[in-house]
Amino acid sequence: MAILECRDLSKRFGAVQALDTVSLKIEPGRVIGLLGPNGSGKTTLLKLANGLLTPTGGEILIEGMAPGNETKSAVSYLPDKPYLAEWMKVRQLLDFFQDFYADFDRDKAMEMLLRLNIDENMRIKEMSKGTREKTQLILVMSRKAMLYLLDEPIGGVDPATRDYILDTIIRNYNPEAAVVISTHLIADVEQVLDDVIFINQGKIVLESSVDQIREEHGMSVDQYFREVFRC
Amino acid sequence: MLGKLIKHEFRATARIMLPVMGALMVLALLANLSIRGLTSGLSDVPVLRILFVLIVVFFGIAIIATIVMAIVLMVSRFYRNLLKDEGYLMFTLPVSAHELVWSKLIVSMVWFLLTGLLIFLVMGLTALNLANTNLEMIIEQFPSWQEISQFLREAGIQREVITLICQAGLGILLGAIVTCLHFYAAMSLGHMFTKDKILLSIVFFIGISFAFNLLSTAYGFVGFGLSGMAEHWDSMENSGVLSSFNSIAWHGLVISAIQGALLYLATILGLKKGLNLE
Repeated sequence: MAILECRDLSKRFGAVQALDTVSLKIEPGRVIGLLGPNGSGKTTLLKLANGLLTPTGGEILIEGMAPGNETKSAVSYLPDKPYLAEWMKVRQLLDFFQDFYADFDRDKAMEMLLRLNIDENMRIKEMSKGTREKTQLILVMSRKAMLYLLDEPIGGVDPATRDYILDTIIRNYNPEAAVVISTHLIADVEQVLDDVIFINQGKIVLESSVDQIREEHGMSVDQYFREVFRC
Repeated sequence: MLGKLIKHEFRATARIMLPVMGALMVLALLANLSIRGLTSGLSDVPVLRILFVLIVVFFGIAIIATIVMAIVLMVSRFYRNLLKDEGYLMFTLPVSAHELVWSKLIVSMVWFLLTGLLIFLVMGLTALNLANTNLEMIIEQFPSWQEISQFLREAGIQREVITLICQAGLGILLGAIVTCLHFYAAMSLGHMFTKDKILLSIVFFIGISFAFNLLSTAYGFVGFGLSGMAEHWDSMENSGVLSSFNSIAWHGLVISAIQGALLYLATILGLKKGLNLE
């Protein structure tokens, strides 16, 4: 069964059609790049998968179920903005995640925090933008979820940390799980992707494996993306 | 999961409420010492007199500030934790919208109760100090429960007075719950829209107040016959008048409960169907 499935999924915000009859399936064991220009509908799709928005048409299913309490236990979501309470210390956040997610691995989180020199007694408000993003990603990737939805996971971090984060994503995810990475920093993430979904103006433009793009078009995903979305 | 939400909600609110309550207790102590100072020879020194008066004034302000803080915290926790960026975390937890609302409501109620008890305590102690007396003397002079009970029995109003006291307690609790839900519902409905969310929340708050006042008043006068009731009071026994108070209070409590239920449903509707995090 597909981990994530959209059937004619639509979302409208007033006059703006953010998603327009999107249909797609994401299978386990794949790392998928959800790629598209700004305002293409990437974040809306991920929010819908998390039940943060309700569709105006069609349906979105996680392991065959509409977003709800059960699917939230199976999905590990990284939003594209700082979402942790500023007053909280890293240690308190570890307590929080441990309390609510049965699949949270505190030891793994501690190991990653140590590796990235993040003190567990540090408060979120005392952190730089990059450190906040690293902390968020560590919390999200320390879960043994079935579906990871990562919205711009590397946007605010330096290139060295980017490599570590991408390595972490690949090393930590379980082979039964799927990882969806939404980004426009394609060159950086390309190395870890199995498949790509190009999205533009709320519509799916392309669904393909990375290998297929390289073989058929003789170019990298980044080059092909620039070709498809040339202004 | 509700227990865990409540635990973390306490963690988030205690860091503000405990220092505020601690500060109130320190100010209460200082104010009481100042009152003693003012009534002793120390008040002859002008600087000390001004200082003592200032401390007592600050104590008065601190009482109001503590109440305001409990209310502001109730509103801001709902707003910041559910409707702003932190909502991305809270609404992706494997918990229901009902559990999220109840956790906020229960914790706010506990802080309201603790704030009320603390203010009652510090004001009571200050009143004793002002009267230059002590607790034992008050207890001695206060009629015993048996005496009060006998007096009420002889007057034939024991049942009515006890009912009225219970109704008052229930009314305070229900009133606090309805107040919280009034804010929650207004914010929840206002944030269903993509623009002017705060302005719309205020509009919903005022609109709900207006609708509830109108409906309660209409029910009181038309449905319940409140205007005609007072005319009969002159001809009634004490117990009859109190009975009619009991009756009015029961209706008031039922109206509050209905208002609370409607506000709760509106809050859940906004959070489940119209969640619109930016």
